[in-house]
Amino acid sequence: MFSFELLINAIVIGILLGGFYAAISLGLQVSFGLLDVVNIAHPAFIILGSYIAYMMGKWIGLDPILTGLLFMPVFFGLGMLVYRIYYESFEKRGAEALRGLAFFFGVLFIVEVALIIVYGVDYRSVDAIYVGPKIEIGVLDLPLRMLVPFVVSMTMAIALILYLSKTFTGRAIKAVAQDRLALQLMAADPVKIKQLAFGISLATTAMAGALLIIILPVEPSVGRLYIGQVFAIVVLAGLGSISGTVYAAIILGVAESFVQTFFGPSWSPAVSFGILLLVLGVRPAGLFGR
Amino acid sequence: MANKLVIEGVDAGYGAVSVLHNVSVTVEPGETVALLGTNGNGKSTLIKAVMGLVRPSKGAIWIEVDGQCTDLIGKTTEEIVNLGIAMVPEGRRLFPKLTVEENLFLGAFRPAARAALASNIEMAYTAFPRLKERRSQLAGSMSGGEQQMLAIARALMSAPRILLVDEPSVGLAPILVSRVIQQIKELKAQNNLTVLMAEQNFNQAIKIADRGYIIVHGEIVFEGKSAAALRENDMVKTYYLGG
Repeated sequence: MFSFELLINAIVIGILLGGFYAAISLGLQVSFGLLDVVNIAHPAFIILGSYIAYMMGKWIGLDPILTGLLFMPVFFGLGMLVYRIYYESFEKRGAEALRGLAFFFGVLFIVEVALIIVYGVDYRSVDAIYVGPKIEIGVLDLPLRMLVPFVVSMTMAIALILYLSKTFTGRAIKAVAQDRLALQLMAADPVKIKQLAFGISLATTAMAGALLIIILPVEPSVGRLYIGQVFAIVVLAGLGSISGTVYAAIILGVAESFVQTFFGPSWSPAVSFGILLLVLGVRPAGLFGR
Repeated sequence: MANKLVIEGVDAGYGAVSVLHNVSVTVEPGETVALLGTNGNGKSTLIKAVMGLVRPSKGAIWIEVDGQCTDLIGKTTEEIVNLGIAMVPEGRRLFPKLTVEENLFLGAFRPAARAALASNIEMAYTAFPRLKERRSQLAGSMSGGEQQMLAIARALMSAPRILLVDEPSVGLAPILVSRVIQQIKELKAQNNLTVLMAEQNFNQAIKIADRGYIIVHGEIVFEGKSAAALRENDMVKTYYLGG
């Protein structure tokens, strides 16, 4: 039944959900949107991040968000390594289009199968003080397990936007896919710039994974559910636009939350692609693309 | 300070195709030297060889900046730019989806140029008020003339001592060509640059060049000690001045 209460709650939950979607898409916007690297394994690294948050919680009772923060440098290093392999094997030889895609598909399966072998296919979750309680403001119910990830995600997005627009390296990251030779003439090494940016892209997945397992229980293959979604958000935003990614994620979050509240959860997966098709028909460069 | 570029007996090319044969070009401190030739004679290849974008198979290229001599052979493009050489590439090569200002900021990427960012931006906007008006517009959405201005301004943002300009007149309307050429002259004087300019538009290039070389099929066929000497040369008359 339609009511004002339901509507307000659907919008607010949608915004919070969108905040989380932003966290899982930001890194892909860097790798796919800015670097032209089709990292289809992006969600697999998010799931890896989730399992690390789960393990650190289980072993030493470390808070999932703190774990995410601590592992961002580790994932940064991992990203640098993955890009170096990708570069030496494919990009350097100009064979990145199809073989590069196959490479990341392989990475996705390796991560997923490794997690299955170690942890099995059971759903895992984390414990933290903000997982259970919720804040009630009038008719609004704000679950902390949605609110906290939203705040973390927005902080990460703002930091990324500032880094890309205010630092010399950040600006070089924005330029690297547009003209490599011109970037060399600015005294920047395009390969080093891309490697660094790919490291940053994966660093976001350490945190996004922690946020995911705070919101929902996770098993190794749920990453695949998010492949379509993250790519839809990145394309909807417009390739290369970080702030656009946040807006697109929130638009999608609100739309999904609406459909879920008023039409039932089985329709919500259709929402992202429905919106994507509609937008691409009208604005092929995406909502916020340059 | 003496900023000098010396190219000695360079052979270079792309894979099995050799383009340059025993090319020697010297640009003395404070000079503007024109490298003249029609399309496909090796002007761009020579500029690229200086920048480390094409590897010479023979010969030497070295610079003297602030009294220090450096061999450029084997250095990466990034290292060469860091020594204080900037290049305005043919076809401008801007970052089309970045704004005018972002393009200028990227010009100051090299560590030595970062400290002077604010004053260099000011200098660029004073030289090209048009760029200031369009600072937040995407570079790719500007006209050809404006893009050429931006390409020159971006190169100067790296606070270079030696400037290489590759075909600044390509794709510009005649009226803009003379304006751009004139601006190169003014900026050269303001920034105490040493300039090597590759150009096929003989009449325009000769307006600001102290002297020049004519390159045909990858060989220097004539060295004009002055602009007048170039104008008087028979080959120039045949090839460029219509008789």
